[in-house]
Amino acid sequence: MSCTDDVRSCYTRRSFLSTTLGIASAGAVSLLLSNDVAADNALPDAKLRAYNGDTDPFPIPWLDKNGSHNQPAGPQMEPSHIYHFKGQVARCAGFVGMGTDNRGNRIAFGTRTTDYGFMQGEYFAGRTPQAGAFTHI
Amino acid sequence: MVAIPKGGLIISPDGRTATLEMKKVPVVDQPKWPALDAVGMPAIMSFKLIWKATDEKIIYDDPQKQFRVEGYRAAAQLEAQVEVPSIGFSWKSDPLAESNANFAILGDEVNGRYYNPMKQSNYLNVS
Repeated sequence: MSCTDDVRSCYTRRSFLSTTLGIASAGAVSLLLSNDVAADNALPDAKLRAYNGDTDPFPIPWLDKNGSHNQPAGPQMEPSHIYHFKGQVARCAGFVGMGTDNRGNRIAFGTRTTDYGFMQGEYFAGRTPQAGAFTHI
Repeated sequence: MVAIPKGGLIISPDGRTATLEMKKVPVVDQPKWPALDAVGMPAIMSFKLIWKATDEKIIYDDPQKQFRVEGYRAAAQLEAQVEVPSIGFSWKSDPLAESNANFAILGDEVNGRYYNPMKQSNYLNVS
């Protein structure tokens, strides 16, 4: 394995020394800063936020198996990824098709997880009805 | 999930055909998904997808999960192209007519606060 393949192997004694010097230099600079500059670096006041007030769509609560808030399309499965939703939906999955890559290779596409869909209509978020159209690709 | 830009989704007046077309959508190419160690790379995707309803009606109703879908099984066809700049890869599908989906539906859904359970008698009319 070459040095460029592994960051840890590049961490030589020389680089360790330069890193240490860098940290020491930064520490020295901070000691020399005026009070005005130091005041500019003070943490800002905490920003007040209204949680549960976002107007983004709310995900289906139990669809988080893979952290993506959706499930494959199929019979008796919910098509929408948005909770508190009413509107038009479509889903499809299990595509069968072919394509060509930039090297001229023929590559098939389509698996059970190759699913697409859209949701267009009204959803409830931010404590009020919202309108929108979204796709899952 | 991505917001559809204006004009990207066209649904026929009778609701039986939908065309979704988007250009240069930023996506993550993750061939090994859903494996936990699946590596993702930034990619750009353009596609056109058409759903056409068949005459097979569907009603999915789940009071426990609070959703109901009424619509039709559909035929779906897709054409797409993908670029993964970081590895110099691109791919383009054959024309739309050369593809098909094993499963597709098109319809209307209500869930969550918009859901009301169907009366039992309504179930009896659905095969």
